[in-house]
Amino acid sequence: MIEVRSLRKAFRVPVREAGLFAALGSVFRRRYRTVVAVDDVSLSIERGERVGFLGPNGAGKTTTLKMLAGLLHPTSGTLTVDGHEPSRREPDYLRKIMLVLGQKQQLLWDLPPTDTFDLNAAIFDVPRDQYVRTRDELVELLDLGDVVKKPTRQLSLGERMKCELVAALIHRPKVLFLDEPTLGLDVTMQATLRTFVRRYNEQEGATLLLTSHYMEDVAALCPRVIVVDRGRVTYDGSREELARQVRPVKRVTLRLARAATAEEVEGALGEGVRVVTHDAAELGVEVDRANVGECVSRALSRLPVTDISVEDPPLEEIMRELFRETSAARLEADADATARVDADAEGAPDSGEDA
Amino acid sequence: MSARSVLRAAPTVLRVGLAEAVAYRAELLVWVLTTTMPFVMLAIFSAAAIDGPIGRYGQTELAAYFLATFVVRQITGSWAGWQINVDVREGTLATRMLRPLHPLVAYALEHAAAIPMRALAAAPVVVILLATSARSGLSRDPVSWLLLLVSLALAWLLTIFINFAIGCLAFFIDSSQRVLEVYLAVFFVASGYLVPLDVFPPAARRALSLMPFRHQVALPVEIFVGRYDGRAAALAVELAQQAGWTLVALGLVALAWTRGVRRYGAFGG
Amino acid sequence: MTRYARLLWVQLRASMLLAMQYRADFVLDGVVELFWASTTLLPFFVVFAARPVIGGWGRDEALVVVGCFIVLQGVLEGAVNPSLHGVVERVRNGTLDFVLLKPKDAQFLVSTARFSPWKCMNVVTGVVVFAVAFRGLGRPPSAAGVGIAAGMFACAIVVLYSVTTLVVSASFFVVRVDNLSFLFTAVFDAARWPATVFRGALRFVFTFVIPFAMMTTWPAEALLGGVDVRSMLLSAALAIGFAAVSRTVWLRALRSYASASS
Repeated sequence: MIEVRSLRKAFRVPVREAGLFAALGSVFRRRYRTVVAVDDVSLSIERGERVGFLGPNGAGKTTTLKMLAGLLHPTSGTLTVDGHEPSRREPDYLRKIMLVLGQKQQLLWDLPPTDTFDLNAAIFDVPRDQYVRTRDELVELLDLGDVVKKPTRQLSLGERMKCELVAALIHRPKVLFLDEPTLGLDVTMQATLRTFVRRYNEQEGATLLLTSHYMEDVAALCPRVIVVDRGRVTYDGSREELARQVRPVKRVTLRLARAATAEEVEGALGEGVRVVTHDAAELGVEVDRANVGECVSRALSRLPVTDISVEDPPLEEIMRELFRETSAARLEADADATARVDADAEGAPDSGEDA
Repeated sequence: MSARSVLRAAPTVLRVGLAEAVAYRAELLVWVLTTTMPFVMLAIFSAAAIDGPIGRYGQTELAAYFLATFVVRQITGSWAGWQINVDVREGTLATRMLRPLHPLVAYALEHAAAIPMRALAAAPVVVILLATSARSGLSRDPVSWLLLLVSLALAWLLTIFINFAIGCLAFFIDSSQRVLEVYLAVFFVASGYLVPLDVFPPAARRALSLMPFRHQVALPVEIFVGRYDGRAAALAVELAQQAGWTLVALGLVALAWTRGVRRYGAFGG
Repeated sequence: MTRYARLLWVQLRASMLLAMQYRADFVLDGVVELFWASTTLLPFFVVFAARPVIGGWGRDEALVVVGCFIVLQGVLEGAVNPSLHGVVERVRNGTLDFVLLKPKDAQFLVSTARFSPWKCMNVVTGVVVFAVAFRGLGRPPSAAGVGIAAGMFACAIVVLYSVTTLVVSASFFVVRVDNLSFLFTAVFDAARWPATVFRGALRFVFTFVIPFAMMTTWPAEALLGGVDVRSMLLSAALAIGFAAVSRTVWLRALRSYASASS
């Protein structure tokens, strides 16, 4: 469905300088630096898959999504989505996809959302009866009711985002690109949207590519994750496998009949066991995957356990772990970039072209 | 994108566009108030012509000319240049480009949808035109009235195309807004909006007649005030020129848009 | 007071930095200003080519009014409008709250937030226009006339600022009308003509309601040597009156904003 080979995207941006005199100088002489947003991304996604796109800010997630949607042209590399080359922006292609940007909206601000739905149905060539069916179904599913008849400006952020989704799905796209769809929403609203998106994916067999800052989104929706960092894919595979690779440990949560100290518990459970959370009688313990069985049986025999559970560590923690390694490397890279700016300034006299 | 799918989408786009124009009626009213410069110019010229007509313009002719100017600008005015500018800078163009309806066609349809509301704003002035002595300064030739509609349609297209072309500069430079301001400054003087073109000295008049701007306001206004009554042949020549400029502008738009979008894709919004 | 002066400098400096960032603007703003100045002048010369005297004003005398207009337009678009347009924007997207949280007078903060330094080109253009006008008249303005005109200009700037503040205050009540802030700038164009050229209702409006007469016509009369105590006093009275009204309305608007916003 989606095939991406050695995708690269580089921007040339002017350097903005601090200070009045430096700024005066840059009126006449401008310096540029090349920012590589996407360096080398290859991936392949099958029809109907739900894939989470993870990475720190500036890793190249949104740039990649925009290239997939045809808004940006790749600097080099190839990408095809369902046989189309996105950058050609053929109407047939546009009718198959949808990009939802969490911070940008397409609803007409001072009219009720239904007007935007009508508009999109007309623009996307959706036959009347199919449109009405889709709309009513989506409105029903998202429990919107009469909300869609109020002017958009009067809606809450959550209601607006729901309507934004309806507007995006009116033409029943086969590929969904979601960029931070739950940004700023409260927990229950996030959950509603997740359930809804998942259901849409299952009913329509739609392919889903999602970026989000909220790990719960990815944890709940995407069996497969692709991690990008500094424009490169650093991991592509199942979510569980990622957890195993980054943190080859399991999280054992113990609830005891009485309060116990961390030392006492670590002593009871033996070598290689570390208490990571501790709240009186409830403790979170990390154990190597190989030793989970032993650890559990020791806990049951040596401690007054009332409840016990074994899980992967939260995705949140995994990501933090994953990107801690790269942040040190990034500091060095920034130093490199500064050096490159100086080099650019030598060789690049002002050409009016990139103003 | 086929013409058929545009036609299918048009009624809904127009209906929603009209609903939007109605929702923004207060802003429309403010916009109308900002375009009252013809009334000030009318007052100035009337004061100047207090002891005898200036050229062919006596008090009645002046009233007819400037009121007609106001009406024509209400109907043919375009804000597409500013709109494209904002859409490119704030990234809202991305949303428009994701739809299988050409963004420029969408802008044009939105403009068309606003015409009824703008005509409503012009209506009181039309009533004044017809109810007062200014009426005797208007055309009495049915052919003129008919061709006025053609000329208004062409003026509308020409204005929106010029707006498109300048708006597309936002793809290339940060400050296309400034270009719009320069355009507006030229437009005010060269279109006959502030001063009837035949009051200019002959040399300036010749220079202005070589520019497209007079086809945006002056030509429809002059038809309106009866300058071409009984001169259908001369009018046909003018209309042909107007159509020619409209085509030239359309060509510029096509060029600016294709190159602009290519660049937008290369550099991002 | 010195703290406010320092604050003003900081904000001014930030605006200058911002203005420096856009290379194309540097050239274009100059071109735009020139174009606007010439559109100011073209209809003017066309009208005066048709008639040497209009409403009691000769061409060179009326040109002094145009000079006053160009200078004041520079003040309006360079120092008054940018900040106050910013307020309308802030009311719309709710970021006015950040301003209200700061321990300084909100009106001072918002009205010094942004400047357009390139608009000082207008002052240069205005001086050129004055020079041309007085060369045509064959006599320089008297020192007393310049002094009085300067005083009237100060009053005029106060009124400009107050009127714009009133318009901005209105935007607190009608949030959705986002072009409201351009209304005054557009109507202000009429101030390039001597107010006494207008007759009837227009003259009354331009003297008392939107007092263009005191902004451009009276200072021009002072420069031309017509020292009129009545218009001096009226000038000062209008300045005080508009300032008081606009401050009151601003405070009331702020209160209604505070109670209406969520």
